[in-house]
Amino acid sequence: MSHLSDDELIELYYAEGTSAADAHLKACRECSAQFAKVQRSLDAIGSAAVPQRGPDYGDRVWETLRPQLIPFEKKTLRWRGWTNWKAAAMLASCAILLVAVFLGGRYWERITTKEPNIASTPQATQRVILVVLTDHLDRTERLLVRLEHAGLKDRTDSAQLQSEAQELLASNRLYRVTASNAGDPELAGALDRLEGVLAEIANDPKLSTAGIERVRKDMNTKGILFEIRILRARSSDQESGLNTAKGATI
Amino acid sequence: MQGNDHSVVRAVLAGDKEAYGALVRAHSATVFQVAFRIVGNEADAEEIVQEAFLRGYQRLESYQGRSAFGTWIYRIAVNCALNRISQPGIEPEYRHGEESNPEEKTVQLAAQDADPERVLLSREISAAQNLAMQRLTPTEKSAFILRHLEERSTTEIAEVLNIAPNAAKQAVFRAVQKLRRELAPLRGNA
Repeated sequence: MSHLSDDELIELYYAEGTSAADAHLKACRECSAQFAKVQRSLDAIGSAAVPQRGPDYGDRVWETLRPQLIPFEKKTLRWRGWTNWKAAAMLASCAILLVAVFLGGRYWERITTKEPNIASTPQATQRVILVVLTDHLDRTERLLVRLEHAGLKDRTDSAQLQSEAQELLASNRLYRVTASNAGDPELAGALDRLEGVLAEIANDPKLSTAGIERVRKDMNTKGILFEIRILRARSSDQESGLNTAKGATI
Repeated sequence: MQGNDHSVVRAVLAGDKEAYGALVRAHSATVFQVAFRIVGNEADAEEIVQEAFLRGYQRLESYQGRSAFGTWIYRIAVNCALNRISQPGIEPEYRHGEESNPEEKTVQLAAQDADPERVLLSREISAAQNLAMQRLTPTEKSAFILRHLEERSTTEIAEVLNIAPNAAKQAVFRAVQKLRRELAPLRGNA
């Protein structure tokens, strides 16, 4: 086994390392020495003293907060005062209505099943997903390209970049979870790495050219851009494949 | 406590505003601690405590009780603190352990009776550490504080910061590497 990486040593420090890494650490003197260095430097990073709050701190917070709170409305049961026969009549009407809706639904289903439901076929669903994903990858690619060539002239430039990154971050999270659930580790992995870049850009309070350079270097945006291009090409291929298949059946 | 918190939440939602006071009293110290660690000053941390409990009350109907109320309000507080340090022009301030009341210290770099040279070096390290913390991005800083000082797991950090577990882990790695790099010359190791 090769020596442990810095990340693995950090994981071991925080007791989140794998058992294999732990075993290697015990057996390898070089890694043990490296681990001791990591341990020393992290042990030395302490917290600024947190000022103690007195036992009445909670009370003070509550006293300040209380006047600002509006009580929630009590969810009273309006029909509590009704007589039993009124409630029974209401229940009976609801039951009749339910039966009518059920039967109507059955009848409607029977007369409409003859027509093929194009929108609900798996192919159509997949096409919709591919179109949406391709659009997301297009936008992301444009953002990464801008990032690669960015020279922010003023605050408006960076605000624009950040607002786009924030938008993309929200949708990216959704696609990553979907890809992961659909068992596509390649796409999920790329979207995960992309999420890191988007989070960094979106959360940087003073996005500057130097900040962008740091994100580029730290997170290998060129590599991610390359991955996105491959994935985009792949989803475009799948989309055109589906179109061809659809053409063939028609 | 968790079951008790849930019944208090139900009481608040049923119109008993005063019941919310019990939740505020039970969790304000924890919320203050994490807020202070992120923003680095007492006044801002106290404001964040107020803001978190106010937001918590306003969103109480969306609290579904899947996690403990303490975890839920903690997450709101971290997000408030993160928003605060993400605002342009707002720099977090960090007090040095040596400058505060000795009884309040949680971590000390030098012993009380250490020689003046050692105390001076310790102060220098502490100042460098604070500066290095300020150079981290808000996500890196929060992830590192939650991992290193609040001792939260990667999964908890991901949940609190609303990012993927791997992104949370990478943020911690980057923060540690940057801090080690910045502090290496002072400590005399790589």
